[in-house]
Amino acid sequence: MAHLLSFIVFIPLVGGLLVLLTPKTYEYLYKVVTLSSLGLTLLLSLYLVAGFDTGLQEAINTEQQLQFSEKADWFSFSLGSLGEISVDYFLGVDGINVTMLVLAALVLFIGAIASWNIKKHQKGYFGLYLLLSTSVLGCFVALDFFLFYLFFEFMLLPMYFLIGIWGGPRKEYAAIKFFLYTLVGSIFILIVMIGLYNSVYDPLKTAEAANLSVLGMNSEEIIQAVQEQVSSGAIAKEDLVKSFNMLHMANEANYIPGSFLEQSGLATVFGQPARWIAFLALLIGFAIKLPSFPFHTWLPDAHVEAPTPISVVLAGILLKIGGYGIIRTAYAMFPDGAFHYAWLIGLVGIFSIIYGAMNALAQKDLKKLIAYSSVSHMGFVLLGLSAMTVEGVSGAMYQMFSHGLISAMLFLLVGVLYDRTHDRMIENYGGLASQLPKYTVFVTIAFFASLGLPGFSGFIAELTVFIGAFKSEAVNGAIPFWMPIVGTIGLILGAGYYLWTLQRMFMGKFWVKDKNWLPNLKDLELREYIMLVPLVVLTLLFGIFPSLLFDMINASVISFVDHISPLAK
Amino acid sequence: MQAILAQQNIALTNWLDQASEGLSYLLPEITLVITLVLLLLFDLIFKRNKQVGLTAIAIVGFTSAGILSFLQWSSETVSLFGGMLSLTNFSLLLKMTFSLGGLITLVIAWRGRDNIKSEFFKSGETLIMLSALLLGAFFMTMTMNLLLVYVSIEVVSIASYILTGLTGSRKRSEAGIKYLIFGAASSAIMLYGMSWLYGFTGTLQLDSVSFYSGLTAVPMLPLVIAMVLTLAGFLFKLGAFPLHIWSPDVYEAAPTPTVAMFSAVPKLAAVTIIFRLVQLTPPSFDWLPILSIVAIASMTVGNFSALWQKDAKRMLAYSSIAHAGFLLVGIIAQSETGNEAMLFYAVIYLLMNFAAFFLINQLEGITGSTKIDDFKGLGRKLPFVGVLILLVMISLTGLPPTAGFNAKLYLFSALWETYSAQESQWLLWLFIFGLFNTVVSLFYYLKIPFVLFFKELQCDTFETKALTTDYIIGTLLVLPLLLLFFRSDWFVDLMNTINFVF
Repeated sequence: MAHLLSFIVFIPLVGGLLVLLTPKTYEYLYKVVTLSSLGLTLLLSLYLVAGFDTGLQEAINTEQQLQFSEKADWFSFSLGSLGEISVDYFLGVDGINVTMLVLAALVLFIGAIASWNIKKHQKGYFGLYLLLSTSVLGCFVALDFFLFYLFFEFMLLPMYFLIGIWGGPRKEYAAIKFFLYTLVGSIFILIVMIGLYNSVYDPLKTAEAANLSVLGMNSEEIIQAVQEQVSSGAIAKEDLVKSFNMLHMANEANYIPGSFLEQSGLATVFGQPARWIAFLALLIGFAIKLPSFPFHTWLPDAHVEAPTPISVVLAGILLKIGGYGIIRTAYAMFPDGAFHYAWLIGLVGIFSIIYGAMNALAQKDLKKLIAYSSVSHMGFVLLGLSAMTVEGVSGAMYQMFSHGLISAMLFLLVGVLYDRTHDRMIENYGGLASQLPKYTVFVTIAFFASLGLPGFSGFIAELTVFIGAFKSEAVNGAIPFWMPIVGTIGLILGAGYYLWTLQRMFMGKFWVKDKNWLPNLKDLELREYIMLVPLVVLTLLFGIFPSLLFDMINASVISFVDHISPLAK
Repeated sequence: MQAILAQQNIALTNWLDQASEGLSYLLPEITLVITLVLLLLFDLIFKRNKQVGLTAIAIVGFTSAGILSFLQWSSETVSLFGGMLSLTNFSLLLKMTFSLGGLITLVIAWRGRDNIKSEFFKSGETLIMLSALLLGAFFMTMTMNLLLVYVSIEVVSIASYILTGLTGSRKRSEAGIKYLIFGAASSAIMLYGMSWLYGFTGTLQLDSVSFYSGLTAVPMLPLVIAMVLTLAGFLFKLGAFPLHIWSPDVYEAAPTPTVAMFSAVPKLAAVTIIFRLVQLTPPSFDWLPILSIVAIASMTVGNFSALWQKDAKRMLAYSSIAHAGFLLVGIIAQSETGNEAMLFYAVIYLLMNFAAFFLINQLEGITGSTKIDDFKGLGRKLPFVGVLILLVMISLTGLPPTAGFNAKLYLFSALWETYSAQESQWLLWLFIFGLFNTVVSLFYYLKIPFVLFFKELQCDTFETKALTTDYIIGTLLVLPLLLLFFRSDWFVDLMNTINFVF
């Protein structure tokens, strides 16, 4: 099916336009349109997974490893002495983003079901939700930095309004805090993007611009010929076509000799090699989104104030863009920086794990507790990545996928309670198990999945991360042995806050603070089952059959680690 | 004796020939002068219902000035009046944009609330002064002579003083007087600086050999003093730090259409003069520290002051101070890329600022005030206008998917290019400050969409007059901002044909 990715990305946008054009008298159609367009997106993304070739082994920075890729010229301009710069419409999936795409489609669909209770300004809500969907999906598959940045930035606007209009009491504060924090991150990314596109050229387009005779050569041969001629100086600098292509940016052969961010270059910024600084800037930019300590403070506010479906989307997918961005840009483009700062990333990772968990222990608000547990779990992503081993990177990606499912489940469950009582304080409830047995079952499952009980996907993810992190000192020396050991404290704390919460809220004699809540305190209804059951099934499925996911990402992860690991070179 | 006289005669006829030849290149300016005179006559002859007639004359005048500039389009540099003026398509592009700005000003005034409209068109003076302002700005884009620089700046300034204090209230007169005193002082400083430059070089001609060699010979300290003093007048018109203090008061007091004009046209004209001065000074003189300090300070002061503003126009005044800093970035880069990026930014800035003032004017028409708090909930009532404002504000911040993002991207790409060649710390700090100022600016730019959408409507009863026309005009103003994001190459290609050599 041609243009499959474009359909996946833009069907929600079309749905959004339909919502905007539908008059208010047909208000019920908004939900129908939203659900059907996101359902279609989900189906198409499953179709994509079914056709995804897991055995394809090509270097991570070449276009041959991409599947379902689409590439078209968007625009190219030549600005002053910068020369020709080309921006492409370039989408594609490989093992690194295919799981993220499916996760996004799934969580967005479930978020749409969770939006059923939205009563206020439905047109605006569903329009913005679909707009958000398009930019999230686009962000995962865009491989042109300009396009990626467009989706990445554009996500902020709908999110700002979704939190700011449909949120809780301090929604305005939370919305602007979210926007400003993330914008600071995108500025860091923008700085590096400007540097990168000024340093990288597109070999194929350069061949065209320099009028190389390429008759009878296939594209790989052309690329090789161009790269040789550029490095020997046979092609003049004016003829180089600069590129925003993210895969080219990850290939040192495509850096213009003598350019600022070239691997063998000697350029320095603040006394440090420019590439290390660029790596740090990208890392910080995406770490804000992830979020990791010390950039996480927007997350609890945003989560607490956002309406349930937006919390689900925020925790389920938006955080993953941070992790995905670190893998796709920071690590892939600046592996030398990644290796140099591995100890820092590992340290921040374990600090996030422990600090997030300790914060979660102290929370009185159930939603805030889960928000901090997200910070803790995202620390595992950083720890896994910092190890720079196949296990570590796979674990990090597994953790992102698994956390997407589990956190969506957790926020949905908080939403269930909040819908009924409009109160999320842990201390206001006791012994809910007797009143809401089915709800309690689901909460227990979700809590256990999140704390990493064997049998659930979270266990596999964290185990793999730790295996990778323990191996690191022996294999490549990226992070020391003690880091994963200290990191395990996070697991214990995780078990602590979940079990304690379970005990406080669900065990013992039934008690709620306000007697007026009692009539509303009913057990799960059909719509909630529809959202929760698939998530539980998937968490179990990926906990019992980890190969389902590992098979998909394995080939790409191996070539990714080959690419970034200094010992493999 | 006879021979000398004859020689003088020949010189004189030569000069006259040159002048009459040059006149044909000045058709746009002549058109503006004719417009001005016609407006004056019309104002004298007719007593009642002058609005339509005055507007018609002004529209015809501004349009034909723009079209005549367009017809002169060529990539050659034409030197006029013995080198006093230098006409390139750089000036022509700006002249066309300025004419467009003039037209949009008329549209804003015409679509404004009744009292704005009647005040704006009460007498012919407003339009006469607008034409004079345009005339001065037109000359600013092409003068090559310090004296003419002074004269054209004064034409713009005097027109602006009158436009500010022309009508009505005490507040307005106060702003006008403030503006006048500030302007007079900075003009005096500028003249003093110019006199130093004249003393150093013995010429007022910017592109003459003696200017160049004279400046090369002067020791650094006096030259820096002279240049900084000269810059004062330009920075005043540009509204950049430290001569920006007049702008918030003037913006708040003056009628919105006039402010739209003030915020774009004189600013961009001033940029061209600074650009020319920087280009024509010998490389031995380092502009980098001076201009970097001005640019960084303008962005930072403008943005941080804007954070606390409660009045939309006052806020946009501070935002325009910040943008003045960004415009300087293009000059600082001192490269081909920088020139093009600066021009790109300038034109986009003009478009988005006019769009912003048009939309603010519409809200003002509904609420009768420009206090941001008074716009509460209007976005929910008028979602279309709200979305347009949101897009303009996003563009002013410099986020995708608007042309404001491209403008910033190109500007900072140019800066990056220069930085990677020179590795000067000034450029690095400028780069960092410039980009992180975007975050600060987001906070206040979002304030207007914030109250529009997040707050509840205060009163249910407000008049909504024929909005369809406003929707169309608003869309027409905002659409280029979106188009130039998705296909900025259209405009960049035009930039590539611009001749930046004077």
